[in-house]
Amino acid sequence: MKLLFKNIDEPGLATREVYEQRGGYASLRKALAMEPEAVLAELEASGLRGRGGAGFAMGKKVSFLPKGSIDKYLVCNADESEPGTFKDRELMQKSPHMLIEGIVIASYAAGANRSFIYIRGEYVQQADLLDAALAEARDAGYIGENILGSGHSLSLVVHRGAGAYICGEETGLLDSLEGKRGNPRLKPPFPANQGLYQGPTLINNVETLATVPTIIDMGGAQYAELGTETSKGTKLVSVSGHVQRPGNYEIELGIPSREIVYGLAGGPPEGRQVKCWFPGGSSSPVLIKDDLDLPYDFDSMAKAGSMLGSGAIIVVDDSTPILDVALKVAKFYRHESCGKCTPCREGTNWTVKMLERVQTGEATPMDLEIMASVQEHIIGNCLCVLGDAMAMPIGSLIAKFRGEFEAHIEQARAASGLTVGTPAPALAGGLV
Amino acid sequence: MPRPTPRTITFTIDGREVQAPENSMLVDAAKHGDVEIPVFCYEPKLGNPVGACRMCLVEIEGIPKLQTGCSTPVKDGMVVNTQSPRVKTAQQAVVEFLLINHPLDCPVCDKGGECPLQDITFGWGSGISRFVEPKRHFVKPLALSEKVAIDRERCILCYRCVRFSQEISEDYQLVLLERGAHSYVATFDGRPYEAPFSGNIVELCPVGALTSRGYRFRARPWDVEDSGTICTLCPSQCNVKLTVRDERVMRVLARDNPEVDDGWLCDRGRFAYPKLAEDRVTEPMIRDGGELRAVSWERALDEAATLLARAGARTGALAGGGASNEEGLALHHLIRETLGSQNLDSRVAGTLPLELHRALAEPALQAKVPDLEFAHAVLVLDCDPIADAPILDLRLRKGVRRHGMKLVPATREQLLDEGKRRELIEQLRAAGPAADGSGLEVVVLWHERLGAGPDGERAVRALLDLAATLELASTEGAGLLEVPAHANGRGLREAGVLPNAGPGLSDVDEDGLDATGIASAFAQGELSCLYLLGVDPPANAAGAIVAHAAFLTDALREQADIVFPAEAYPEKEGTVTHPDGTVQRVRRAVRHLGEIRDESQLLGELSERVAARVGLAVSA
Repeated sequence: MKLLFKNIDEPGLATREVYEQRGGYASLRKALAMEPEAVLAELEASGLRGRGGAGFAMGKKVSFLPKGSIDKYLVCNADESEPGTFKDRELMQKSPHMLIEGIVIASYAAGANRSFIYIRGEYVQQADLLDAALAEARDAGYIGENILGSGHSLSLVVHRGAGAYICGEETGLLDSLEGKRGNPRLKPPFPANQGLYQGPTLINNVETLATVPTIIDMGGAQYAELGTETSKGTKLVSVSGHVQRPGNYEIELGIPSREIVYGLAGGPPEGRQVKCWFPGGSSSPVLIKDDLDLPYDFDSMAKAGSMLGSGAIIVVDDSTPILDVALKVAKFYRHESCGKCTPCREGTNWTVKMLERVQTGEATPMDLEIMASVQEHIIGNCLCVLGDAMAMPIGSLIAKFRGEFEAHIEQARAASGLTVGTPAPALAGGLV
Repeated sequence: MPRPTPRTITFTIDGREVQAPENSMLVDAAKHGDVEIPVFCYEPKLGNPVGACRMCLVEIEGIPKLQTGCSTPVKDGMVVNTQSPRVKTAQQAVVEFLLINHPLDCPVCDKGGECPLQDITFGWGSGISRFVEPKRHFVKPLALSEKVAIDRERCILCYRCVRFSQEISEDYQLVLLERGAHSYVATFDGRPYEAPFSGNIVELCPVGALTSRGYRFRARPWDVEDSGTICTLCPSQCNVKLTVRDERVMRVLARDNPEVDDGWLCDRGRFAYPKLAEDRVTEPMIRDGGELRAVSWERALDEAATLLARAGARTGALAGGGASNEEGLALHHLIRETLGSQNLDSRVAGTLPLELHRALAEPALQAKVPDLEFAHAVLVLDCDPIADAPILDLRLRKGVRRHGMKLVPATREQLLDEGKRRELIEQLRAAGPAADGSGLEVVVLWHERLGAGPDGERAVRALLDLAATLELASTEGAGLLEVPAHANGRGLREAGVLPNAGPGLSDVDEDGLDATGIASAFAQGELSCLYLLGVDPPANAAGAIVAHAAFLTDALREQADIVFPAEAYPEKEGTVTHPDGTVQRVRRAVRHLGEIRDESQLLGELSERVAARVGLAVSA
C-alpha cells in the first residue's frame, strides 16, 4: 500500500508541474472549499498519529490550539536527527510539494497564518529543493495572501538549523527558531498554548504533515481503515544496519516486523543472524530476534517494552559485539546532550566513561550494576526525553545481553593483564 | 495593572494538610507546611522557573512521572509526597550526578559552610558516590571580571548567573558555551564581565564557582556575623547585610526587600565597602597655623560653639550625603531654634515654594517602588535611573519584561512644551486598559533636578498639572516618585532642613536662603559661618566653616576651620526616609573608627553648648 511514496520515483516530481499532473494540490482545493472545522474533523477521523517519534494523535494536537483571531504558528519539524532515520529526507527531496500542500491544509485547519519548516542544516540539497518548490507554490498562489480566494493567508519560511540533535525536540526547536541557544523548555506550557514567540503553535513532523493531503483526498474515515485499531494508515520505515537492501519503505502499520526486515530489506547478509534491532531509531530500547514476529505498530512495540518512534529500524547482526553498539549509542547522546538538566548531562557522560572502562578491561561486573542503575536514575527524571533516549537503549542492552557484557569484561581484563580481584588503576582511586 | 491576589487553598504534603496560596510553586507552598524541597536552579527573583537542575523532583498523586516542585503550581486538593522511596532515590541520584564533576574542595572553598550544594548533599544525598572516573578539569580560578572570580570545576551549571545576565540586568554578557558535560559559563571571547549589577551573580551562585575577589579567603562563615542595615550611598537605599569580622566589613550582601530593592544590589553598593574604611577622618580637627590638626573633642566642640554663637543668625547650613533623619532634625534644632537662622537647605536644585513641596508630598500622590513594576506606564522624567538610583533600573526592566509595562522617557523640555506634553499624555494613555484612559495607572519617576534652574518651578507645576490630568492622586497604584539628589534627600527635607519649612513641612516665621543663596551670601561675607553636614564647601568661602566629614577632600583641607569626623553608614545608627516615603532603619554594624562619635548626639551637644553661650534655655 503506497500513499506517500506512490509516485515517489517519478522524475521531476519535485516540480509543481509534475506534482500537479499527479493530482497534487487537488486536496488543497478540496480542503479550502470546506470549513476549517470540517478539515479538522477529517484529520481527527483519520486517527493519524504523529510520525516524528511520540506518536501523538495529530488531529487532537490541532484541536488543542486556542480558537480566535490571535497569531498562531505552524512549525514543521524537519530536523530529522535520530540516528537511523532518513525518511523525511527522501520525502522532501523527491516530493517537496506534498509537504507544502500538507502545511497549507493543516494551517487552514488550525487557523495559523505563519509557518516555518525547520530543516536540519546538513540537509543542504533538501533545503534548496524546498526553497525552489516554495517559490513555485508562491507563484501559483498556494502560499501567500488569500490562498486560492479562500480568505486564508499563510507565510512559509524554510529555516535551516545549525546542527544539533536537541533542536529536533520541539521546544528546543522553537528556541532555536527564535534565534536562541537550542535548549528544551519546561513543559507546561505546551507549544499548543505558548510556543513560538509565546504564540499558540502546532508542531508536526514532515511525514505527518505530508500525509495530510492524502487524508483529505481519501477522507479521514477511509484512511482510518488502513493499519490497526490504534495505529492507522501507512508509515515510512527507514531500514538500516545489517540488511541487504537498506532504504525507505512505505508499509501499512501492523504488518509483521519480520516482513519489513527480511521481506522488504532482505535480512542480514548471507550466513548471519539478527542479534538485536532498534524498532524506532537509536533511542528505542532494543528488541531481539524473536521479537521480529511482532506486528509493527505503535502499541505492539510499546507492549514489547520498546517504541515505534520515528519508524527507523536498525538491524544489528551477530558479527557485532554488543559493547560496540552500546558505546556508539551512548557517545552519540553524550555528544548531543544540551547540558541544561543534570541527569542527562552527567548521566550520558558517566555512562560513556563506564562503557569505555568495560572496553579497556578496567571494569568489573559490579560496574554493570552501576551502569544499569544510572540508566534508571536518568529515565523519567530529565527535562526532555534526550536523557531517556540514551538510557532506554543502554538499559535494554544491559538487561538483554548481560552475559555478553560480562564475558567481554572477563576477556578484556585478561587481555589487559588484570584478573578478577585485582583492582583496576582507576578503581584504586577509591571514593570520590 | 491587577496584582496577584492569590486565594488560599489546602493541599496535602507528606500526609499532612497544609494551606498555601493557590498557584504558588510547590517548593514555596511546601514551606507553609515546614517541608523543604531542595533546589539549585530555582530562584523566584530570576523569573519563571526553568526546571533544569531536577533537584526538586516530587511525587504528585495522579501524575505518573515525578514532577519538578519548582515549576508545578499548587492546586486545591493536590496530594504531594516528598518522602517516598521513589522521590528519595531520584533526589539522591541528582545529588550524585551533580557531584561527579564537582571537585569537593570544600575545605578551601569560600562557599564552604554557607553552600547550598553542601547542605543539600548532607540533607538529601546518599552519602557515597559510585563515580570512579576522572573528573573534568579547567584552569582555575579565572578572573571573570575585576570583581568576580570563576572556578568552572565547581560549577554545577544551574544557569542562575546566565539567567541573571540575560533576563534581569539584561546586559547579555554571560552565556553558556559548548554543550552537554562540556558546557561552561563564559563571556563572549573571554572579555571581562563588566556591568552595573555584576556582583549579584556571586550571591546567586549556589556553589563556590563565582566568588568575590575582594572576599576570597578573607573569612569563613563561622568567623563572621551578618548585620542588617541600609546602604546610604544613593537614594535607592537598598537593604543590605554586612558581613563583619573583627569590627571590619568584609563584604556586602543583599537583604531581600521586595518593597525596596527586590533582592538585588548594584556593584557600587556591593563593592564600595573597603573604601569606606580607608583614609578616614577619625579625630576632630581644627585649623591651626594654616593647617588642620587633630585636637581633643573638648577643644573642637568648644571652639565650634564659640564660632557658631558669635555668628548667630548669620550662620548657614547645608546637609546631604547619607545624613540621617535624626541628624537632620538635630541640625534644624541647632541652626533654626538655637541660632535663630533660617538659612539651611538640603536641596542642591534651588528652592521651591512651600506650597509646591506640600503638593508634591500629598499622601495620595505618592507612588511606591513596586508600583513601577505594575503600572501600565512609567514616565521617566529628567531622570537616568542607572546613575541616579541604579536599583530602580532593574525594577523598570522587570516591569517591561514581565508585566508589559510601557516605559516612556521624557525630558523637562517635553514637559514644558504644551504640544509635546499633550503627546506624552497620549503616549501614556495608549498604554491603558481602556481607550478613554480610564483605569490607567501611571507612575512618574522624576529627579529632583527637574526643579532646578530658572524653569524649575514652572516644570514642577507642569508635573503637578500632568498628575492632575492623569488623575494620579485618585488612582490606586499610580503616583509620583521623586529621586532626590542625596541618599536621604526626602528625609532631610521632611526633618526641616529647608529654608522655607520646618519639620514635617511646617510653616516658618520667615524664609531663609536656599543653597545657592547661602553660597553667595557666604562668599560676600553676609554669612559669617557655614555648617556642613556631609557636603563639600562651596567655592569662595569668606567666613568660617565647620564640617562633618568622613573623608578629607581637597576643598575641606583648604577651607574648613573645624572638622568633626563623620560616620560611614556601617557605623551609623538612625533612620532614613526612602524616596517613596518608607522610613528605614540604619543600624550600626561595626564600631566607630578612632574618635568618631554619634553625629546626631554630637549635634545635640553642640546645640547645648551654643545655647549656654547665647543665654538660651536648653529645650527639652
